[in-house]
Amino acid sequence: MREIHVESLVKTFGEQRALDDVGFAVAEGELFTLLGPSGCGKSTTLMSIAGFQQPDSGRIAVGDTTFFDAARRLSVPAERRNLGIVFQSYAVWPHMTVFDNLAFPLRVRKLKRSEIRTRVREVLELVEMTPLEQRYPHQLSGGQQQRVALARALVYSPSVLLLDEPFSNLDAKLRERARTWVKDLQRTLGLTTIFVTHDQDEALSMSDRVLVMNQGQVLQVGTPEEIYRRPTSRFVAEFVGRVNLISGRVERADGGKIVLAVDGTTHRLAVATDGDAPVDSQLTVAVRPEAVLLAPPRDGAANGTNTWETTVHAVAFLGDHYEYELEAGPLALSAVSSRLLPGDRIDVHIPADACTVVE
Amino acid sequence: MATGGYAAESVPPPRRSWLPAGLLQTLTWVLVVALIVGPFVPLLYASLRDRPLYEAGGVFTVQPYRDLFGDSAFWRAWVNTLEFAALTTTFAVVLGAAFAILCTRTDLPGRRVWGRLVLLPILLPSLGIVLGWIAVWGPGGYLKQWFSQKLHIDTPGIDTIVGMSVVEAARLLPIAFLTCQAALARADSSLEDAARSAGAAPMRVLTRITIPMLRPALLNAGTLIFTLAIAALGIPLLLGTPRNINFVSSYLYNTWTNAAAPDPGSVSAGAMVLLVVRNRLLGSEARFVSVGGRSSRQDLLSLGALRWPLTALFALYLLLTTVIPVLGLALMSLVTVLTPLIAPWDLFTWEHWRALNDGVFARSIRNSALIAVVGATVTTALVAIATLVAHRSRFPARRTLPFVLLYPRAIPGIIIGIGFFWAYLETGGLGDFFRDSVWGIMVAFCVRNLPLAYIVMYPTLARISEELDRAARAAGAGWWTTSRRIVLPLLRPALFAAFILLFVEILNDYDPAVFLVKPGTEVMGATMLTHFIQGSVGPVAALAMVQVAVTVVVLLVFAKVFNIGATGADDA
Repeated sequence: MREIHVESLVKTFGEQRALDDVGFAVAEGELFTLLGPSGCGKSTTLMSIAGFQQPDSGRIAVGDTTFFDAARRLSVPAERRNLGIVFQSYAVWPHMTVFDNLAFPLRVRKLKRSEIRTRVREVLELVEMTPLEQRYPHQLSGGQQQRVALARALVYSPSVLLLDEPFSNLDAKLRERARTWVKDLQRTLGLTTIFVTHDQDEALSMSDRVLVMNQGQVLQVGTPEEIYRRPTSRFVAEFVGRVNLISGRVERADGGKIVLAVDGTTHRLAVATDGDAPVDSQLTVAVRPEAVLLAPPRDGAANGTNTWETTVHAVAFLGDHYEYELEAGPLALSAVSSRLLPGDRIDVHIPADACTVVE
Repeated sequence: MATGGYAAESVPPPRRSWLPAGLLQTLTWVLVVALIVGPFVPLLYASLRDRPLYEAGGVFTVQPYRDLFGDSAFWRAWVNTLEFAALTTTFAVVLGAAFAILCTRTDLPGRRVWGRLVLLPILLPSLGIVLGWIAVWGPGGYLKQWFSQKLHIDTPGIDTIVGMSVVEAARLLPIAFLTCQAALARADSSLEDAARSAGAAPMRVLTRITIPMLRPALLNAGTLIFTLAIAALGIPLLLGTPRNINFVSSYLYNTWTNAAAPDPGSVSAGAMVLLVVRNRLLGSEARFVSVGGRSSRQDLLSLGALRWPLTALFALYLLLTTVIPVLGLALMSLVTVLTPLIAPWDLFTWEHWRALNDGVFARSIRNSALIAVVGATVTTALVAIATLVAHRSRFPARRTLPFVLLYPRAIPGIIIGIGFFWAYLETGGLGDFFRDSVWGIMVAFCVRNLPLAYIVMYPTLARISEELDRAARAAGAGWWTTSRRIVLPLLRPALFAAFILLFVEILNDYDPAVFLVKPGTEVMGATMLTHFIQGSVGPVAALAMVQVAVTVVVLLVFAKVFNIGATGADDA
């Protein structure tokens, strides 16, 4: 009964549409991520669910309870929504000890002292912070403050958990550990969670489903694999991971296969697709660098369709792999390889099913 | 992980607060707006009636304005006022900027200490310091006579327009100093470093980079000082009136108090004119709220051989403008007559200090102390809540509050006084209560000085992340619980600073009171002003010394508690 329904939210700030018909549903127990660049509307969406911002129109409900309905002029105040939220800055109250921070929501709810003590201890144990309950926030590390913030959001058994870029203030190493830890905790508690981030790695590694937003609009919703492998738009392809975009004119199109004449070259690219496209129309396809296969040049192999001969423009060593910047005529291609290939000419092969039409 | 039973136990939902946030916010807003806008409605009304409001049967007329504009003395007063304000602004801005550069960008010895001492004039009671100036440098002043009799040097008089603007500039210089200091601290010193790297000598960097960067700060400080000088009352009244040099403020005061047939309508009209002119100049005072910049280590311009001469000049300035007036005041309070002809120890007396024990002087001290403590407490509380409504609530009219809270700073003190005079007169029993007690003066002083509290609180509040209140709201706390348990405790240092500042200002304020005092409701500043004009200078000097001493002690305690040298506070 803790699924979240967000329906056609619209919010304008002056001329700008911060939210443009944003809608989605989150299933019970799901970790649902809002992903997008800063200013895309993901935080506005989260703050609308939390009750700190009022959309101009739309509807928000958790389970049977409607929190917001512009049509009925209904808006439950933030303090009565019973949501747990972890802020980007953690917002751990600096003048209260860890214990008092956790006890505050329970004191507001007029619980008995003994009950407050039991619950706070229980949650502190859950986040492995028991020995630090009498510390003040300035005596804690960033990672510990984050645990306190999370504990404080969980201590009153909220109906859903909202996470607003909770890892952005942690350093890289700690961030990876925190991700795993939060994901484990969320799964164990079975809490319906909405997670906001601009970091695609976080989104892909933690989420059950990801929603990609830009300029206030929902671009795509899907599992991390779908978002990464089958982006439906150029923006999603470019925002989530690195990508080669190849444009061309449709030469042939028959049942599940389109052949492009790549712009500015004599190369052909066969693309496996469910869709259809009229002959002579322009298309852009996305190919992930790791899907591009590299081989030393062999005469005759580079036949011009999906297998091309390229010049090496630059190679960068990144520890566990090499990154290649290649040129096929005017077309620039990125590719990765686990080993260094000799020479300054390389044959590339782009599998037809590694291509996604994005435009 | 120990999750057993955790999610199963449900917690009751948070209860609604007994005090609806909307009601509290509305009450705060109404009270603040009524207190600040309230006095101007009757003032405007009084200026448009053919007879004083306390006489029945008045009709609408623009005659007061016609009388006012037809009075050549009023126009002369304006010419004097503008000349005075322009000179004051020039002196204060040039010197203030120079001091700010010396203290922040050079290797002047002891620049930190100088930087704090130079702020003293704005923190010390302004009326007392003016009296000190008069005692020492005024016509018949101690040092003026000494110079002319012993050395036959005629020191320039401070009872000319130029002289008065020097005295006023010494009082207002800290505003220019603080504004420039803040701008210099905020300015990216790498801009100056870049010029050095490009081959510019330090002096060139100063004239081509540093000073041009200060231009907005100079403009802001200049505008503020100009408007404050226009509204000044103490100096025009004490130095100008005896020489028959009238200013707008002293013209209004004298017309109100001395004229054979008082003409309240005309004074009210004059007050409206003064108000309009000042507001045109000032625009929104919000522009002048300088939020302290981050302090970074600055690479210093070396003064070389000029170091010690400049230090000596700095010390001489402070000696002449602050130390000697205070010493003069102290001396005046301890001798029967202040004259260089007879050694002061031959004229020594405790009589003036003894006079403080009873009568009007004792009453003034009691009243001032009472309203300073009560007024500072109440105002701090009210402004704290109003600031939260303005910046941390969803109250529909919240955006009007910052403007309203800053507005009294844009109003000359005497106008607040006249405004409240009419307001009390027009509000029946409640007005009578305020008119007949010292609380009426307290309200006027509090309204006049409450922007200071807002100016102190707002930057601190702005630094408290809004996510802290949102976290409390999400945890189930309503607006008032969030304010009481989270935001106000975090704001505590600013609340204390605001209280101290208000205490000092209310203790030393005087110009709104001159229209409100009655026998029994005297306060220190107003008593000093009237008794000095009547010629009883000794007890007045003693009273001023009390103000100085209390102010210094309070500020020192405050500085000790907060481990700082001096607060940078705006003043008028």
